[in-house]
Amino acid sequence: MIDWYFSHIVLVQSTLTTLLLALSVQVPLRAGVFSFAGVGCYGIGGYIAAIGMVHYGLSTATAILLSAVVGGVVAYALGLLIQRLTGLYLAMATVAFTLIISVLVVNGGDLTGGAAGLFGALGMLDTGHLLAVAVVVVAALTFTEIGPLGRRVEAVREDPELASAMGINVARYRRATFAVSGVLGGLAGSMTVLLRSTVTPDDINFHLVVLALTIIIVGGSRSWLGALVGTVIFVWMPEVLAFVGEWEDVVYGVLVAAAAVYLPGGVTGAAVAGYRTYRRKRREAADAPPDGPPPQPVAAGVGGDS
Amino acid sequence: MASGTIEDVDGAADTAATESVLRADDVAVHFGGVKAVDGVSIELTPGRIFGVLGPNGSGKSTLLAALTRLVPLTRGSLEFEGRRYDTVRPHTIAARGVARTFQTVRILPGRTVFDNVALGAESAGSAGKAERGRARQRARTAIERTGLAGKERHRPDELSYGYQRRVEIARAIASEPTLLLLDEPTAGMNRQERDDITGLLGDLRGEGLTQLLIEHDVQMMVDACDHLFAMNFGELIADGEPEAVVRHPAVQEAYLGKQGRAHA
Ligand SMILES: Nc1ncnc2c1ncn2[C@@H]1O[C@H](COP(=O)(O)OP(=O)(O)OP(=O)(O)O)[C@@H](O)[C@H]1O
Ligand SMILES: [Mg+2]
Repeated sequence: MIDWYFSHIVLVQSTLTTLLLALSVQVPLRAGVFSFAGVGCYGIGGYIAAIGMVHYGLSTATAILLSAVVGGVVAYALGLLIQRLTGLYLAMATVAFTLIISVLVVNGGDLTGGAAGLFGALGMLDTGHLLAVAVVVVAALTFTEIGPLGRRVEAVREDPELASAMGINVARYRRATFAVSGVLGGLAGSMTVLLRSTVTPDDINFHLVVLALTIIIVGGSRSWLGALVGTVIFVWMPEVLAFVGEWEDVVYGVLVAAAAVYLPGGVTGAAVAGYRTYRRKRREAADAPPDGPPPQPVAAGVGGDS
Repeated sequence: MASGTIEDVDGAADTAATESVLRADDVAVHFGGVKAVDGVSIELTPGRIFGVLGPNGSGKSTLLAALTRLVPLTRGSLEFEGRRYDTVRPHTIAARGVARTFQTVRILPGRTVFDNVALGAESAGSAGKAERGRARQRARTAIERTGLAGKERHRPDELSYGYQRRVEIARAIASEPTLLLLDEPTAGMNRQERDDITGLLGDLRGEGLTQLLIEHDVQMMVDACDHLFAMNFGELIADGEPEAVVRHPAVQEAYLGKQGRAHA
């Protein structure tokens, strides 16, 4: 076990940071906001942490905290700026934001290290710290998935007009998801860089957007659990698929396509649906009189319960 | 606008009774060239059921959308409990106590009956523990009153259309609104279910809830409402006592002559 852990430590750690990145995209998506601003904030967080460490000698904790705060503030400001956009246009604008970040850091001179990036930003981080951050984040997000808040977020996603007719300030919820995604992106980016000790403009690219999206599509978009399942699949797949060698990309592509087509709610969505069907079958079996007639859809509700 | 004085309200509430809950003045909603609502003025007084009759496409739903701020006004003004609200956003007026149902069932597909109704019950609420308890109680009461008891754990796709409509109604009344706007709440229901719902609306009126009801069934509207508005081509063509409005020649011509969708 111990041996296994040390030989896989990089994968374990990148599972945790990738989870945060995936969550930074999933949170807005869960409220119906098609934003990839979290990925841009991943880049911002990575650079802030590296700059803070290399140029200003910040402590690891300060660097991470600063990255999260700046990520949240920048994303919130972006949210204000583009709050009229929805759907594909919003997605495009936030992808553009991410690409702009990567252009900015190339042209940042000594501050960002230009095209070569920054080196020597090794933070005092271990798996325990990452796990602690992930647990706190997941606990906080759970709160937004259950109870009254969970219902309201779902209403904002499923039917914004209905939500507003129920007294929900839809615009405020949308803006809040920007801030949260910025914080999560900032955390993910800063911790990734502080583990690796380097950051380059190439680290912030379109692939991150694709990665986050595929994680959520395959894992499930409705709950942090989906992000975790998807993250584990995609971080560990190269390891698991090592035996297929050069066919890895093909297998990868087929898996993503199959999930998109056959598992619209992702792996966790399918599991939840299966569990509900099972419960419903059991309930119906319990409700049905031993040899009564089958329920008749047309007659359903005649007379009612009232 | 509301004809007749209200004398059967307890004497003490005299001033409150003469105040209007909602007043719409010269409201118009145009979609490009389509004058969906064009210069409608109505006043709703407390504790009564107002009805809106009119053929398909006459602008009834658009009027409701205007009153709930879901569509921008082309012209006119809105007042709720004496305060102008024609520029506020929809959630604001909802939070002040205007609840509504939609003509098409709009409930969260992945959520249980209880969750859907709770959404309405919690809309006004803060996050405090005591308030959350009260919200659950409001949801349970609304579920009972709409005949949904026993179906709390069901999901929308397990319910008949009539029951889905009840969820819409339960969600709206669970917020304990001051004004309830209902867009064809009994569409697709059978006679017995309709009677259940109109009975419920009558009970709610008894508790002082002001209501604006859209339905196509003329007899039901005459029976259920204290006051009728009749619309055609986005305009008000008659307004007053239900029997008088229904007999009004313009209404006969526009609505009854054609029979509209007055099925059942
Ligand atoms: N969003 C919209 N954009 C353009 N036209 C619209 C829109 N909403 C409604 N209309 C038009 O406005 C008119 C009034 O529609 P509305 O839905 O208010 O009628 P209604 O009286 O509720 O009819 P029904 O009895 O069929 O429900 C119709 O001609 C309709 O096509
Ligand atoms: Mg309508």
